Amino acid sequence: MPTVEVSHQDLCKLVGKNIPISKLREEGILFAKGEIDEAKGDLLKVDIKDTNRPDLWSTEGIARELKGRYASGGLPRYMTRKSDVVVKVDQKLKRIRPYTVCAVVKNLKIDEHSLSQLIQLQEKISITFGRNRKEIAIGVYDLNKIKPPIRFTTVKPDRIKFTPLEFKKALTPRQILKEHPKGREFGHLLEGVPEYPIFIDSVGEVLSIPPIINSEHTGKVTKETRDIFIECSGFDLKFLSPALNVIVSALVDRGGNIETVRVVYPERTIETPDLEPMKFEIDLDYLNRVSGLSLTMEKACRLLKKARYDAKPSGKKINVLYPAYRQDIMHQRDVIEDAIISYGYNNIEPVIPRLVTTGNQNPVETFSNKTSELLTGLGLQEILSYILTNKKHLFDNMNLKEKRVVEIENIVSANWSVFRSWLLPSLLEFLSRNKHVEYPQKIFEIGDVVNLDSSGETGTKDTRKIAVALTDNQIGYEEISSILDSLLRGIGINYKLRKILHPSFIKGRAAGILVNGREIGVIGEINPLVLERLELDKPVVAFEIELEKLMV
Amino acid sequence: MASPIYKLTEEGRNYLQNGLPEAKLANSLKMPMDIDEAKGRIDSFGIALQWAKKKNWVKVEAGKLVLVKKPNSVPEHDALRKISEGKKVDEKMADILLKRKLVYVEKEDIVKRARKMVGKEIMNIPPELIKTGMWREVKIKPYNVEATGKKIYPGKRQPYKHFLSDVRQKLVELGFKEMSGPLIETEFWNFDALYQAQNHPSRDWTQTYTLKHPKQGKLPDNGVVSKVKASHETGWKTGSTGWGYKWDIKKASQLMPRAHTTACSARTLASLPDIPAKYFAISRCFRPDVIDATHGVEFNQMEGIVIDESLTFREMLGTLKMFAMEVGGAKKFRFYPDYYPFTEPSVQISVKHPEMGWIELAGAGIFRPELTEPLGVKEPVIAWGLGIDRLAMFRLNIEDIRELFSKNLNWLRNQRILI
Repeated sequence: MPTVEVSHQDLCKLVGKNIPISKLREEGILFAKGEIDEAKGDLLKVDIKDTNRPDLWSTEGIARELKGRYASGGLPRYMTRKSDVVVKVDQKLKRIRPYTVCAVVKNLKIDEHSLSQLIQLQEKISITFGRNRKEIAIGVYDLNKIKPPIRFTTVKPDRIKFTPLEFKKALTPRQILKEHPKGREFGHLLEGVPEYPIFIDSVGEVLSIPPIINSEHTGKVTKETRDIFIECSGFDLKFLSPALNVIVSALVDRGGNIETVRVVYPERTIETPDLEPMKFEIDLDYLNRVSGLSLTMEKACRLLKKARYDAKPSGKKINVLYPAYRQDIMHQRDVIEDAIISYGYNNIEPVIPRLVTTGNQNPVETFSNKTSELLTGLGLQEILSYILTNKKHLFDNMNLKEKRVVEIENIVSANWSVFRSWLLPSLLEFLSRNKHVEYPQKIFEIGDVVNLDSSGETGTKDTRKIAVALTDNQIGYEEISSILDSLLRGIGINYKLRKILHPSFIKGRAAGILVNGREIGVIGEINPLVLERLELDKPVVAFEIELEKLMV
Repeated sequence: MASPIYKLTEEGRNYLQNGLPEAKLANSLKMPMDIDEAKGRIDSFGIALQWAKKKNWVKVEAGKLVLVKKPNSVPEHDALRKISEGKKVDEKMADILLKRKLVYVEKEDIVKRARKMVGKEIMNIPPELIKTGMWREVKIKPYNVEATGKKIYPGKRQPYKHFLSDVRQKLVELGFKEMSGPLIETEFWNFDALYQAQNHPSRDWTQTYTLKHPKQGKLPDNGVVSKVKASHETGWKTGSTGWGYKWDIKKASQLMPRAHTTACSARTLASLPDIPAKYFAISRCFRPDVIDATHGVEFNQMEGIVIDESLTFREMLGTLKMFAMEVGGAKKFRFYPDYYPFTEPSVQISVKHPEMGWIELAGAGIFRPELTEPLGVKEPVIAWGLGIDRLAMFRLNIEDIRELFSKNLNWLRNQRILI
């Protein structure tokens, strides 16, 4: 969830009302689906919970919601005029970065608050909503340094030179990708394309190479800037339009005038931004069925207006209009939630549902619990380890040949790269970390392992297993076989042991555990080769069984 | 152990004096003799005949006893004499004599042994003193009873697992049934069935794990898939606009480690449970997070669903309130608007912790109709999730999430029980 920095004073100025921080914390910020994380003097750090509402990720957006609840509500109106700015989009962008939507905002009075908010909003949108600039890259420029019409086209990586933002010397796009910090950060988004996207004006002045960097000359907004040109570029107008709408709405909330831009595509021309409010129909009965609030038509409409909708009754329905910066509304539920937020979550009396149901836990959990009781009764300490591990632990350390296991592609650390296919390696690793702790050490784990199984729906099979390991200066097969015997007698299972060869155990000191003629586990003394690899220096005896095979 | 002291039984003394019966029998046979006649002459004839035959001194032929050879030595007799003189005999012979009940092992008189201790100061009280009552005549040394007991390490449950068992028990008491699902899921159950759009940021590879192998799973073939597809693309019959994009079945059948317990809820809904229904799951989930004191790549999530025609937002708040009190042990709580891609409306509950102030405890929401209706559930479904790992950290008083899976045996051995 995005965390935005907000000046308390700036916020109150935009709302037009002074709201103390304590009241903001307990009530106000909730209207913007936020929570105050930190308050240091005038600076508030606000967590906005909604990752699908970029319109809330700025002081302007938060102020809009608070204004609706504390001052005047209803639909915020955004008037637009046509500008004479035209952006021509080149067909060559088709496979590279095909779309852009643009706007002009004039007569801005930019101060430090609005400037930092503009930068913050731009950043939050392109990172969270724009998937780290992949889907949305945003550029803001000083309109008076640009000579329209503007072309959105492509350029060969070495064909042109311009000074990127925060740099002093002119570089080619290829050099920018190598040398500029933003080039290094986002260069991978242009990997494999023969030509880079570029915004360039009628006299050849570069605006930017999206999604990498603006030009220092045209693409720098300061407190002196009065008129700006904004573009959002990417792959899908469904993401780009709301992103642009969110930014221009925020600027206008501080007193700018929006002018639309003609974006000319080879196949059609569009006029952006489109700030026409959108329509939705709400059923009052459904609203009450979801909220449980028994609201009258009048009250429901009032709550919606507080949440910045226009709401007009029509029979048992409510016709609502919502602002163009909202792209999250798909179902009546999305609007209903806003009405409940207006009502105030903490003003609602919770009702504990009285439903007659019977509870139970999975039989495998009950059985695991009972088994743990038996094993703790035998003096063993239960441990818990991660299911994720690595091949070295599973195979190499255990003196086994590697086999295919469930393996992760995008690992964070090589230590956690595969799912464990058996349990004993987890126990031995545990012992290897406790070499200096008092002996004897007797441990067990009851846990899941995952193995490949092409017959299953998920190509894998989870198995609940029990593993026990004992170590001491002197310990042998008798000790472990008597634990196994007590456990299985305690569960009421008849079993047999049959000599086997298993590379993790000493030859002649390993047996398969058979129940009804089927091998369900292995028991024995761990091979000193394994002990050496794990740097264990005392003998270890152990067994591992499939728990579910014991549930009869 | 000292070697036992043997004493002659009455029979033994008799044989020492008069000779062993088998020797007497053999020595009395000058010529073949009728068995009945011999019976009259020799005491203990049965024993005599048995042993004389065993030693091959006599045999029976046509109802008569015939001498095979005269005994020139009788080792049992020699042994009896040695024992009577207090000398040692070899163990084999002693065994034979014991079996023939000619000797017995003398037990030292417990009174005699107890008497040796009278008047002395003793540490441990032996049974002889208690049996004879002579403990009254010894001095029992006082111990340093204020010394701390020596540390021993009995078998114990792993504290976090024990905590989870307790929580399970609590939920069963509240009428919840446990649900489950596989650790490796298809994206379909992990995301698509939950109405998370395939181009939603939370499906990006930076947030969830993908698998090198296996790659592709199988999707259910009962019509659910096509309804989910329609729900994503156009909203199906749910009254929603849908996400408005082209849904890709291939992406949905990709396998991934389960990233949240909500996958279990989706499977449970699709199984069309009887309503009213209450379910819960505590399950292991996997995400490629940076590993630190508050994040692991592997963690547990607890989630539940409540399904009934009568449920509204107020029951949702009530459900959370119940958890805050019953599971979280909280007295004061507050609700915050929240966001989950699969619920609308959504809420978060924070509870007042005596030292740490307000902390987030749980989240909940009413599942979106775009989720429930394609899975075949018409009734409202309240879903709640609880940060069970964080709750455990508070209860176990640990600050690093990795300690829940502690590899420190000393720590495990010294954990106290949770009440």
